[in-house]
This record gives sequence, structure tokens and C-alpha cells, in this order.
Amino acid sequence: MKVKKLVVVSMLSSIAFVLMLLNFPFPGLPDYLKIDFSDVPAIIAILIYGPLAGIAVEAIKNVLQYIIQGSMAGVPVGQVANFIAGTLFILPTAFLFKKLNSAKGLAVSLLLGTAAMTILMSILNYVLILPAYTWFLHSPALSDSALKTAVVAGILPFNMIKGIVITVVFSLIFIKLKPWIEQQRSAHIH
Amino acid sequence: MMDSMIIGKYVPGTSLVHRLDPRTKLITIFLFVCIVFLANNVQTYALLGLFTIGVVSLTRVPFSFLMKGLKPIIWIVLFTFLLHILMTHEGPIIFQIGFFKVYEGGLVQGIFISLRFVYLILITTLLTLTTTPIEITDGMEQLLNPLKKLKLPVHELALMMSISLRFIPTLMEETDKIMKAQMARGVDFTSGPVKERVKAIVPLLVPLFVSAFKRAEELAVAMEARGYQGGEGRTKYRKLVWTGKDTSVIVSLIVLAALLFFLRA
Repeated sequence: MKVKKLVVVSMLSSIAFVLMLLNFPFPGLPDYLKIDFSDVPAIIAILIYGPLAGIAVEAIKNVLQYIIQGSMAGVPVGQVANFIAGTLFILPTAFLFKKLNSAKGLAVSLLLGTAAMTILMSILNYVLILPAYTWFLHSPALSDSALKTAVVAGILPFNMIKGIVITVVFSLIFIKLKPWIEQQRSAHIH
Repeated sequence: MMDSMIIGKYVPGTSLVHRLDPRTKLITIFLFVCIVFLANNVQTYALLGLFTIGVVSLTRVPFSFLMKGLKPIIWIVLFTFLLHILMTHEGPIIFQIGFFKVYEGGLVQGIFISLRFVYLILITTLLTLTTTPIEITDGMEQLLNPLKKLKLPVHELALMMSISLRFIPTLMEETDKIMKAQMARGVDFTSGPVKERVKAIVPLLVPLFVSAFKRAEELAVAMEARGYQGGEGRTKYRKLVWTGKDTSVIVSLIVLAALLFFLRA
């Protein structure tokens, strides 16, 4: 059984990587903030195998992205940021979904994840990620007001929209896949 | 649409850099990123430049491939350069057009920072240009081995990475097939409002997940039938061999760091 879990998590990571390639910018937001559906496989991993599997999918997806595509500044700042954002987004689902075992419960927990991701990523970008970018790119540090604009006009709406879009997509998928996910989960437990 | 996205940037070759142990290349990049910060005057930047040019020419990767890697960041380099010219007001004024004054300090800083940036990008892209993803995975597994003591499942993570890598082309092909099937029915994945894209992605994802699970089941059965039982006592098909070349690369980096340390202002 353990081997199957290993293999399934790997496959979900591959799907996440492929979905990452199909990203698109959201109209009205800066070009470097792109929306993709690569968190969907991670949520499926969580629903079937629990929180660690979901985190593994997020981690493998980003490491693969780094070793295949490389990183602009040489240091994987963007990948680390994506990993943290994805983990924050999917974790509430891991703990809430067991209690609210329905499509509605899923939507509620994903929206909670959206809130967690939006708030924490805005703070993290302000104190850590954006300064790290400018530091590794060796460009002059952003001024405090420029940082605030970047967070309020870019990062905050971006994470919120991304969370909501994925919630909508996943709810639609979940309606179709629910019996199948339950079957996989019970096959894993027994 | 999928074939326009090349998977990875690896350029096959037999150069010295290609044949280096992936561990060496990973350590080198880590050290280089640290060392670059030591440079702060003309001599040190020239030395780093020589090192970078030397390494790049050793790989024998066609110049056009390197330029492809540099293209997306050329604007950031230019932007940083201009920012320094406009913002740094040190030293004598070199020339002046109306309001626009260029100070010597600004020009020098701008050139230095841009150079540092280009060095970093060139050296780090060489990793993906000269090493296959599977080699990088093997190298990472070996380098992270000590973390096993902290109960981190290094072997399992590396195995999952290899399986993922193996199935990315397969799944891309499958995604492409499903997309084409949907496009034949009039679905548009590449343009249109977000609402349409969201609607289009659902009939793409559902068959993708179901077929990936089928594949996973088959692979798991095949692995168990062959007696896979975790990392303990498992032999390797691809073995990493540390040779004299690798030691000399690490030593030359340490020498470079020492030289930079003495030459810096």
C-alpha cells in the first residue's frame, strides 16, 4: 500500500508540474503574477492521503520546476514563495474537510485557505520575499512605500483571486470526482 | 500547444562540465552565489568575469542557448543599471544634459551590479544546461543524505522526484491529447475571459486524474512484483562517481574565493 501512495503522489506532482506550464496572467494584475491550477492535484492528494501528501506534491512540483526550468535569479525565491503559498492554501482543507465531508464543506475550507494564503503571503512578501528578490537580483532595495504598493496592488489581490478561482474550479471537479475520490480513500485506508 | 514548451533546457554534450558529478555542480553553484558578493572593485569583477567566461567556454554549449537564458532578464539588468545611474549621486559628474546628471559613482555601481547579475545568471543556468534533471535529482539525494538522521525521508522524496520526472512527458502528451479532443469540440484554452478558461479546465482535469491513477496503480504493482521495499539495501543503476576533476573544481573555487578576498577593496 505504501508503494502505491508513493507512486500516486509522484503522478499528482507530475500533473501539478504540467498544470504549472499552462499558467496565464490575470487581467489587471502585474505580468509576473500568473494564475495556474497546480494546487488542484495537491488538494486531491490531501483528500485521499492526508496533509503530508499534499505538502509533498507542492514541494516536488517546485523542486521539479527549479531543476527543469531554473530560476531567474539563480536562487529559487519564486519557487519557495510558491511552495509556502500553496501549502498555506491547502492545509486548512486537510483539517476541516474531515469534519465537513461535503462539497459545501470543501468550498468553505478552501475559502478559509484562500484567506490564510492571502493574509500570510501579503505579510511574508512585505517582510521577506520581495526584499529577498531585490537582494538576490542586487537591485536597489524597494522603498517602504513601493513595497506597500506592490503588496496591496499586486500580491494581495493576486492571492485572493487565485484562491477563489481554484476554489471554483475544484468545487466543479469535486462534484464529478467525489465518488471516485472516496473509493480511492477507502482503498487506501483498508 | 504543448510542443511549443520544451521540457527542460538540457543540451547534450561530452564537455568537462557535462561529465562533472552533479554534486560538484550543485556545490559549485552554492559557493559561487556566496563568493560573488565578495567582489567590489575592478580587479575582483575582472577576475570573476574571467572565471565565468572560462567555465562557459568549457561547457561548449552554443552561445545562442546561453542568450536564450539571458533574454528574459536583459530588461531587469538594464533597469537596474539605469536605476543606479539615476539614483547614485557619488563622485564627480561625468556628463550632464539639462536636468539629467550622470555621476561617476552611479555609472561604476551600475556596471558592477549588472555584471554581477550576468555572472550569476550564466553560472546558474549552466546547471540546467549541462545536467539532466535525473542527474540533479541523484545529486540532491546524495547531498541531502545526512538529513536522514533528522527523519527526513530523503530516499522516498528522491524516488518520487524520479518517478515524476519520468512521467512528465507522458502526462504532457496526454494533456495535449485531451486538449486537442476538447478543442475539436470548440473549446478555447488559450484566450478568452477567465470565466471561459475556468470552465474549459474542468473537462481537462477529470480524465487526466483518472488516467494518472490507473498508471500509478500499474506502476505500483510492477514495483511490488519486482520486490521494491524502500531505500535500505537498494542498489543503483546510475552511480555517482567522485573523481579528481570534481575535487579540483572545488579546490579552484576555494582558490578563487581566496583571491577575491585579497583583491577586494
